[in-house]
Amino acid sequence: MNITELDILLVEDNQDDMDLALHALRREKLANRILVVRDGEEALDFFFCRGAYSQRSFDHPPKLVLLDLKLPKVNGLEVLKIIKSDPRTKTIPVVIMTSSKEERDMVASYNLGANSYIQKPVDFDQFRDTVKTIGLYWLVINQPPVTEDTPHFRGAVNEPR
Amino acid sequence: MDAVAATIQQMEAEEDFLMVQRTQKTQAARRVTITVMLLGSLFAMIFLLIAGVAISHQIGINARARAQVTALNTQLEQRVAQRTSDLRSEIAERKLAEQALKNSIAVSDQVLKELADQKFALDQHAIVAVTDVRGTITYVNDKFCAISQYSADELIGENHRILNSGHHPNSFFQNMYRAIAGGEVWHGEIKNRAKDGSIYWVDTTIVPFMSDQGKPRQYVAIRADITERKLTAERLSNQALELSKQAEELAGSRHELETPTLTLRSVLDSMAEGLVAADEQGNFIIWNSAAEKITGMSAAEMPALEWNHHYGVFLPDAITPFPPEENPLLRAIRGESASAQMFLRNSALPQGAWIESIANPLRDKSGALRGGVIAFRDVTQRRVDEREIRKLNDELEQRVAERTAQLQIANQELESFSYSVSHDLRAPLRHIGGFSKMLMEEYGATLEPGARHYLDRIQAGTQKMGLLVDELLNLARVGRHSLNRRPSPLNPIILEVVTILEPDAEGRRVQWEIADLPIVECDPVLVKQIYQNLLANALKFTRARPLTVIEIGYLQHDEDGQTVFTVRDNGIGFNMKYVDKLFGVFQRLHRPEDFEGTGVGLATVQRIVQKHGGQVWAEAEVDKGATFFFTLGLGKQAESKSDGIAAGGQS
Repeated sequence: MNITELDILLVEDNQDDMDLALHALRREKLANRILVVRDGEEALDFFFCRGAYSQRSFDHPPKLVLLDLKLPKVNGLEVLKIIKSDPRTKTIPVVIMTSSKEERDMVASYNLGANSYIQKPVDFDQFRDTVKTIGLYWLVINQPPVTEDTPHFRGAVNEPR
Repeated sequence: MDAVAATIQQMEAEEDFLMVQRTQKTQAARRVTITVMLLGSLFAMIFLLIAGVAISHQIGINARARAQVTALNTQLEQRVAQRTSDLRSEIAERKLAEQALKNSIAVSDQVLKELADQKFALDQHAIVAVTDVRGTITYVNDKFCAISQYSADELIGENHRILNSGHHPNSFFQNMYRAIAGGEVWHGEIKNRAKDGSIYWVDTTIVPFMSDQGKPRQYVAIRADITERKLTAERLSNQALELSKQAEELAGSRHELETPTLTLRSVLDSMAEGLVAADEQGNFIIWNSAAEKITGMSAAEMPALEWNHHYGVFLPDAITPFPPEENPLLRAIRGESASAQMFLRNSALPQGAWIESIANPLRDKSGALRGGVIAFRDVTQRRVDEREIRKLNDELEQRVAERTAQLQIANQELESFSYSVSHDLRAPLRHIGGFSKMLMEEYGATLEPGARHYLDRIQAGTQKMGLLVDELLNLARVGRHSLNRRPSPLNPIILEVVTILEPDAEGRRVQWEIADLPIVECDPVLVKQIYQNLLANALKFTRARPLTVIEIGYLQHDEDGQTVFTVRDNGIGFNMKYVDKLFGVFQRLHRPEDFEGTGVGLATVQRIVQKHGGQVWAEAEVDKGATFFFTLGLGKQAESKSDGIAAGGQS
């Protein structure tokens, strides 16, 4: 997979959730350029071009990050906090996709700069609709940040919602 | 002596008077005797003369008469002889009488002499006066003159009133005169006034001398000078009077004193506090019964510096002897106000007692220090109680801390539990639902109809469980939700709920009867949930009714004035014997085939009501509908701990 031309980064530790999500995305033809990382540490390596992702460049961020909150090693909120406080990564759109409808998680996510917060519906039809809507919106409707210049400059342009 | 002389004089006069009387009587007797004798002789002579004349007349006239004369003569002679004999015997009698008289005179003389002696003696001893019946003094003896300071000349002829001192009331003399005028001897003590105005007292005996007619002729008063005795008596009497007055006054003042003293005494003795007062020398002047009870000892005389040792006074550590000069009562006597905690232990108080005392100086009206007073009480029991209370309190605090810690742990566990539930339970549900759906979509065509039916059942089960988990999470959230009370009009809330429930009522005839509800101090978000659950239930259990009537109202609670909110429906109701299960989590009174539901809704209502400090209950009858009642507490309740999420995050 070409990680420089990535549409979606899916941060998901659970195999079942991952499969369901990929199934839904694939159905909507949104899964062509998708990368899945399985924990928070790997996600951070990807964002900051470290370890397995050292060849990656900050210049080619994903168009959308689907971030679960409950993750091994470094949890989703920590990952969110780090990438949203770093000028090189802060403009990347992050949608929290979680089982939790906990108010504190929701509030914390928005406070840390999440671009959207979505509770995964139990009903699979609803889940698929949700995934479809998100994909269409962020990959098709939404105007992604300009890839030239410095990321922090680009960040000023991108204010979704 | 003059008085005696006067008395003697008086007596002498009296005796002279008596003598004169006696002499007169004697002389009268003598005169009678002589007259009798002379008359006798005269009669004899006249008879003889008459006889002589008669004889010569006869001789001269009639010879015949001689014989008669002779006879007469004889008769006469006989009669003379008789007469002479009579006279002789009469004379003899006279002589005898004379002799007797002489004898009697001799006796009288003797008596008179004795009387004179007695009068002398009387005059020597007594004060004597004689008055006539009008009280005019006719005689006074020397002693009378002496005592009255008047001379006899001045007195005689004067009324006895001249000596009246004015001391006795008129009735006194009236009684006296009445007695003596009636012939009685009167005896009494009279206070007289002497010529110089001085006073003298005489013990007086007045003897009325009666005339032959039985009337008083004169009064003889015999008196003795009792001035000295009387004055002494008077003085004594005055003194007695004075004393009795003083006694009376004393009695009065004693009574006056006694009353407060008695009151004070009973007050002191009925006090629960010990009260001890000492004068400036340290002598105890008050030691009430409580003092005795508390110290176990009574007041004893000793130097003040030995008090602490004697009564066993220690510092509150119960070991160190109380410094003798620091004894609060002693300090009070020195003029200080002192209070002290002390421990008493002596032979009467082997267990010892903790004492709390306050001492103050005693000052008289002028402010001079006159001693000190100490009030004290046994605080042993209080100390025990306080220690017990402190211990209990510590235990309680300890338990509260433990319980709080446990609760905090439980709360954390609950929170992490519900967090896990929301993540971990929902995820597998999603997977079951998701994969079964995918199976159905991707391989459904190749599956047997029976297999597809099972897949449908799996789908339904996952949906049901998803709902259950969501409601359980909601219930848990209500528990953690911080109560945000504010004045909230209920009618808009209810209208909002009715709107939400519109889809459920679709195609049914539903009559909402909503009263004009008050504005209530409550958490509107939570109260909305109460109504949402209750109205959803009402709608659900009236499903079979051709006309559903749901009444939403309120009434005033009789007992504590709380407003009771009511939701009444005309649904299928329930049997009241299951009412206890109504509000329990997962408790259902109906089969799921008849009425869908999770059994969490009413538990959530109860949780919200309890959070408000209110109560919820229900009344129903099978097929006659049900009524739910709830209250929302009064005013501010202790709000549950905030879960730390800002109000803006509430859904």
